[in-house]
Order: sequence, then structure tokens, then C-alpha cells
Amino acid sequence: MSRKLTECSAPVLRIKNVQKFYSDLEAIRNVSLEVAANEFVSILGPSGCGKSTLLMMIAGVVDKTAGEISINNVPVTGPRRDIGAVFQQPVLLPWRTVLDNVLFPVELLKLPRAKYKERAMELLRMAKIEDFASNLPRQLSGGMRQRTAICRALVHNPSILLMDEPFSALDAITRDAMGVELLRIWQANRKTVIFVTHSIREAVFLSDRVIVMGRRPAILMEETPIGLPRPRDIAIMESEPFNAYVRQLRKAIEVSHAQ
Amino acid sequence: MLNNARIKLLELSWPVGISLMLLAAWEGVVRGLGVRSIILPSPSQIIETLIERRELLLANLWPSLALTVLGFALSVVGGVLVAVLITYSSLLRRSLYPIIVVSQVVPKISIAPLFIVWFGTGMMPSLLLAFLITFFPMTINSALGFRSIDEEIHLMARTFMGSPWQIFWKIRMPNALPHIFSGMKISITLAIIGVIVSEFVASQAGIGYLIKLAGGLLDTPLMMAAITVLSIAGLVLYGLIALVEQRSIYWQSSSDIGAIAGG
Repeated sequence: MSRKLTECSAPVLRIKNVQKFYSDLEAIRNVSLEVAANEFVSILGPSGCGKSTLLMMIAGVVDKTAGEISINNVPVTGPRRDIGAVFQQPVLLPWRTVLDNVLFPVELLKLPRAKYKERAMELLRMAKIEDFASNLPRQLSGGMRQRTAICRALVHNPSILLMDEPFSALDAITRDAMGVELLRIWQANRKTVIFVTHSIREAVFLSDRVIVMGRRPAILMEETPIGLPRPRDIAIMESEPFNAYVRQLRKAIEVSHAQ
Repeated sequence: MLNNARIKLLELSWPVGISLMLLAAWEGVVRGLGVRSIILPSPSQIIETLIERRELLLANLWPSLALTVLGFALSVVGGVLVAVLITYSSLLRRSLYPIIVVSQVVPKISIAPLFIVWFGTGMMPSLLLAFLITFFPMTINSALGFRSIDEEIHLMARTFMGSPWQIFWKIRMPNALPHIFSGMKISITLAIIGVIVSEFVASQAGIGYLIKLAGGLLDTPLMMAAITVLSIAGLVLYGLIALVEQRSIYWQSSSDIGAIAGG
């Protein structure tokens, strides 16, 4: 089941020499990255290193200072309909039921609600929260809320899923379980995923490729393909190859911080 | 459900019990000491007056009530509109906001005689005063509600290509509702004050007029009856708003709503 990079077709996402200044502060310097269709790429780095900024530039909600970002060969100039995003917090609307929250992008994009309702229910089923479809967010646990947010990001069938430390607000046990859930949903709903995290183990467990990002101004430091077989389950975290990757990445991070 | 209702009744039993005890003590003191009704009528005398002179009381309640509700409604519409303008236009925010805040230094009640000079002793001064006195809390609370939108929710809506129009109706408006309702609850009681004060100054009808008239005639039971009617009307208006609030803000638990009302 192992998937090599060479099998991948033309890149879906292409980032070239992107730079970001916040007034005088250089947040991101000269970042280039190509991501293939259906590839799961993690960007690993310390909190506040500019990972989120990069993600929001891909989403088209933050302007870049210089460089190029294109999705399916079309330059990103603003928000686009082929992107789904999951944030650190679930950011659900408290007055909407779980189902209506999932259908929120469908409404904003003016897509036919009736047609997408079935897909939303299917996603909720896959995320094992279909029983809560008509509940309000406050009646859900933190993990269930974040699963709702993942369903919301997938409902309009985007080609790229952007995830900004989506599990960092959850406790450690829920967090591992959510990683497993995410992979299960992803196996059934193949997407290009850009996953930002500061957890090495999470990055190794989920990704085809992990990219280490250095401190401010952020530059992409090192790329590590993860050759672990798929589908992966939680037991793989105990395996020697897994831990070898973790060690390798930890070393890469130490090097990036020494600079 | 039944259990909840029972708990609510139990919670109510204390304040109701204490109120009844106070009323009984009041009745006892007035009767025991033989206090003249011109000084302090007993609760039973007030109830008697309420029944005997109900037509006079009601005839004067309606104009006050109508002006209160109308002035309040105008300030809800006006306050929310101005709040929207302040939220979306930084020019208006920078120019209007300080004016609105500084204008709060003027005790609006003191303008009542001026309104009478300008608009006569009809309904206009009462209406204007009710509007003016409630406009500030309505505007400030609504503006706070529109601005209190979570930055991450805004970002989320933008990544899904939400337009400013969609973001206003689907996020800002429901998000502001709790604040708008707390503004309304503050305003409704203030609107009553505005109308009554204006009626004190000069008018030919209304509960404020009746209280002043009864005072002049030293008819204390009638004054007390009028105050009672006014209090009941205020309670009903406030209760109606709280009821609509509970229905509208279904996503907050009732204890949250209580906290907003308290704060």
C-alpha cells in the first residue's frame, strides 16, 4: 500500500518563493513547496513560526508579500471554492445544529442544500457523529466538535484540505483517536491535505511527507518522506520504523533551531 | 419537564413568601397603629382603590403604555441601525461614537421641559423622551454585539467564500442577538421612566399625569394604585421581552441568559 512520491501526477498545489512581511517583520522567507494530488503533507514547526500564515495564504485569506501560489495551475488571489479548512478551534456556530454547521459552506457557496444534505449525513456517519446531527454544538464533546469541523471542511468536496493544528486543543488521548479517525475519513475521501502541527508523532503518523519549518523568519528546512505502509492504525506508533522517523525529525528540528 | 417546573416553583416560593410577609406586616402596622390613609394606605385599601377606580386607571394606563412601547420600538430599530453603521463604517464610528458617548453626560430627563416648550403638552414630548433615554443603551449594546464576533469564525467564513452580506446575516446578526436583547431589557424600563417623567412635567393624560393629579388632591390611595398599575405594566413588558429572548436565543442555556440579564 506504500505510495511513492514518483507515482504522483502534476502538483495540485505549487508554492514558489513566497515571502510574507508584517510591516517590518519578516514572517516567512522564500518558501517553495509542491504538493501532489491526494498527498498528505505535514508542516512541522514550533508554535508561532509562521505555519498558520502560510496556510492562510494558501487559503487566499491572507495576502502574500512576494512569490506565487497556485492551485491546479490557477494563481490564488482570494478565497476559492476548492479549499476546505479546519482550524485550531472547531469554530462552529453555536445557534446551528451539527448538520447545519456542516452545511454552512454549502450555504455560503450557494450550492443546492438538498443535494448536499445527503453528503453531509454520509460524512457525519463516517465521523461517527450522525446520531448528533440535530444536536447543538454545546451538547457535544471537544473531539466531536472538531470532527464536525472536519465534516464541514469536506462537505463541498474541495480538492485541498487545509488543517491548522486541528487537534492541538484536545487532550492527548482524544488527540490520538482523532488522528486515527482523520486517516479513516481521508482513506475514504482522498484529498490533498496540508496539515500544520507542532507534534512530531502526529506528523509521522498521518503524513506521506513531513516538512520541517524553521523559526522566524520561517523557511522550509527539511523534507522527510514517510514510507510507512497505509492504512495505518494506532499500533504503528509502537513500531521501530515509526520511532526512527520521529528521531530523525527531532534531530532536523534541533538543527533548524540551532541556526 | 414536570420536575423542572417544580424546581422553578420551589425557587419562586421564597421571594413570593417574603413579599407576602412584608405585605402582611404593612397591613398589620397600618391597622394596628391606625395610620391615616392619606399618609400610608394599607395594601387592602390599595387593592380596593385598584378595583373601584379601574376605569380611571386603565384610561390613563393606555396612553402611557402606548408611548412607552412606541418610543422603545423606535429606539430598538434606530439603535440597531446606528450600531450596524458604526460597525461597518470606521468614519462613522470615529465621528458618531464619541458624540453618542459624550451626549450621555446630559441627564436626558432634564430635557423634558424643553421638549414641552417645543412640542406642547401632547404625546410628542413623552415619545421623544422615551426614545432618547433608551437610544444609548440600545445602540451601545447592539454595537458591542455586532463587534463581538470571534476572529476565527470570521476567518472560517472567509475561507468558505462568505460575502460580507452573508457574514452579516448568518454570523454577526445571530451573534449580536444576546447583546441586543440585554439592551432591550435595560431600555424597556428606561422607556417607562422617560414617559412618566414627561407626563409629570406637563400632560393631559397618562399614569404620570394621574399620579401628579392624585398627589395634588392628597389622594394617596389613588397614587399608590397608579404606581402599582405602572409596576405591573413594567413587569409584563419586561417579561414579554425575556420570553421572546428565551425563544430566540435557544442555543444558550437559561443560566447563561440569566447572567446576561444580570450583567
